[in-house]
Amino acid sequence: MNHLLIVLPMLIPLYGAILSLFSWRYVRAQQIIGILAQACMLIASFMLLFDVNEHGIRTTQIGSWPAPFGITLVADLFSSMMVITSAITGMAIYLFSIKGLDKARQSFGYYPVLMILQLGVSGACLTGDLFNLFVWFEVLLICCFVLIALGGTKPQLEGAIKYVTINFLATGFLLTGIGVVYGILGSLNLAELAVLVRTPVSHPALITMAGMFFLIAFGIKAAIFPLFFWLPASYHTPPIAISAFIAGMLTKVGMYAFIRLFTLVFVTDQELTIPLLTVLAGFTMVLGVFGAASQNDFRKILSFHIVSQIGYMLMGLALYTPLAIAGSIYFILHNILVKTNLFLISGVVAHRHGTFALKKLGGIYLQQPFLSVLFFISAFSLAGIPPFSGFWGKFMLAKAGFEIDSFVIVLVSLAVSLITIFSMTKIWNEVFWKNKPESDPLLNVMTEREKHNNRLLHLPVAFLAVFILFIGLYAEPVVAMAQLAAEQLLNSELYINAVLKR
Amino acid sequence: MKTVILATAIRILIPIFIIFSVYTLFRGHNHPGGGFIGGLIGAIAFVFHTMTHGPQHTVDTFLKVNLYGYPRQPNQSRSLYLMRMMRVNVWRRRKMARHPEVKHRMIRIESVYIIATGLLLAVTSGVFGLLSGQPFMHAYWTDFYIPILGKPGTPILFDLGVYLLVIGVVLKITFVMSEE
Repeated sequence: MNHLLIVLPMLIPLYGAILSLFSWRYVRAQQIIGILAQACMLIASFMLLFDVNEHGIRTTQIGSWPAPFGITLVADLFSSMMVITSAITGMAIYLFSIKGLDKARQSFGYYPVLMILQLGVSGACLTGDLFNLFVWFEVLLICCFVLIALGGTKPQLEGAIKYVTINFLATGFLLTGIGVVYGILGSLNLAELAVLVRTPVSHPALITMAGMFFLIAFGIKAAIFPLFFWLPASYHTPPIAISAFIAGMLTKVGMYAFIRLFTLVFVTDQELTIPLLTVLAGFTMVLGVFGAASQNDFRKILSFHIVSQIGYMLMGLALYTPLAIAGSIYFILHNILVKTNLFLISGVVAHRHGTFALKKLGGIYLQQPFLSVLFFISAFSLAGIPPFSGFWGKFMLAKAGFEIDSFVIVLVSLAVSLITIFSMTKIWNEVFWKNKPESDPLLNVMTEREKHNNRLLHLPVAFLAVFILFIGLYAEPVVAMAQLAAEQLLNSELYINAVLKR
Repeated sequence: MKTVILATAIRILIPIFIIFSVYTLFRGHNHPGGGFIGGLIGAIAFVFHTMTHGPQHTVDTFLKVNLYGYPRQPNQSRSLYLMRMMRVNVWRRRKMARHPEVKHRMIRIESVYIIATGLLLAVTSGVFGLLSGQPFMHAYWTDFYIPILGKPGTPILFDLGVYLLVIGVVLKITFVMSEE
């Protein structure tokens, strides 16, 4: 049974993609297949989480080849939580795309590619093999390239080229790192690497050097300082349904791999890595939030905020206590949901008013009070106002920081929080609160049909808001689960024993 | 690139390429070869054909299926009608094409469908293991040998899927590139 449960989050999107390819000419059929696949995916990932929660770490060996020779798939709490979050956001994105994306893009393979992107996310989260991780990141990269360039408008192509060039570089570093690790230790299975690294004969300096390759590679993928510049340059170019999924999900998958490797394998030289990660986390937070404060476009503000939030996740890893890593995990889950939702809200606003520029928007509070409430929930979750979800993540991180006397990074994170509130308030004031600026009234005429579509677009936003409220107001089980996940990450014996069956 | 020599030679070479690619495909489990290489070799045939004759001609020659048929007679039973229709499409097709009453319909095999079929075969070959409680992609082999193909088993299905996938992708790329 566990063989099936671990593979299902990858099989369902793959079969969904195949069926959508067969119905290439019938967009309607692709939409139905997509929604069905997402529903199955949601159910399957919840079953996986319950199973892992009950029985501990679950593994399966593809093709019955035993570890460390065959390909291992491992589901621990952290990875199954990531899979669930990707299923939830995927569902929201599909609901949004049906009405929120133009027909031309939908009929050119949008649904199959999105499904394969989800396959990549599940694969990267569930794999227990370094080379496999690389392959899944390649899948993600190719799918993102297609999605960002889909439609072929000029800004999109520009963004896609920036995205692909930088990420190819990251892939190169990743591959070099994998080569170096294989050269030093002679294995690519993560569990066996974890064993080999902890044996006295290994060479800590060489392994740290290999770790630096991974730091750069996943640093680019996760957009940490000083490697984040590609993100604000490319994430705002594609249509909102696409950029919401990419922005919500992808950098966090990079962060997932980061946390996985730096708690399991590259732990030998923590006198070097931990101060380094702390500095990087601080700069990532500060520069991201200042970048956001200087922007005047809805999507660009959100793009820069991705960078600053990545800093918090990195901070959890840099503090390296169970509570801090639990905070990091909780923060990743919260951030995926909230960020996707904020992007979708900007999409709903733009669908109604035709622009993302803060100057041209206004008065939405009067016209769409429900949307305003949804934005309020998401924005204040992002900023970390209690009792919304962001607060608990930041609280855990700050508490963990105070416990080990890292006052500087905690103070930086709290200051960054304040500036986050500033930019969320800026969006609130400009888009929702202030009076609508004078413009040509003919521009805002909508047909009944368009109004109906716009109302339908609220559905995915509300769907995500329910989950955001859930993990905020009913945080205790989620936090407890994040703490268990952190325990599993830090006790690498559990992982090793589960994979190598010792 | 229309040269007479290549255009003539390719007609003879296409079956050789395809037979060799199938040979490589089935040789692949224990020797060099397999679905990916076989697919690439098989795709060379179509790529050369497109280079000499243009994409339209390649599609007309290899990727179109003509289906023949005629409306059902008033008193004809349904099963008889279906059998007739099958016979029309299988037996002495050329003669039927000239028959005045028979209408024909063309079905174009899009490369997307080849890709999808390949993926479906490859993924489904792994599911057999799951169904009997084994890990994904657990291999099942039969006990007997077939003379040229060797020992059949689920990994052959996987290789066949990869073969179709590679051919489909290369065809798609070739058609897109040659249209520009």
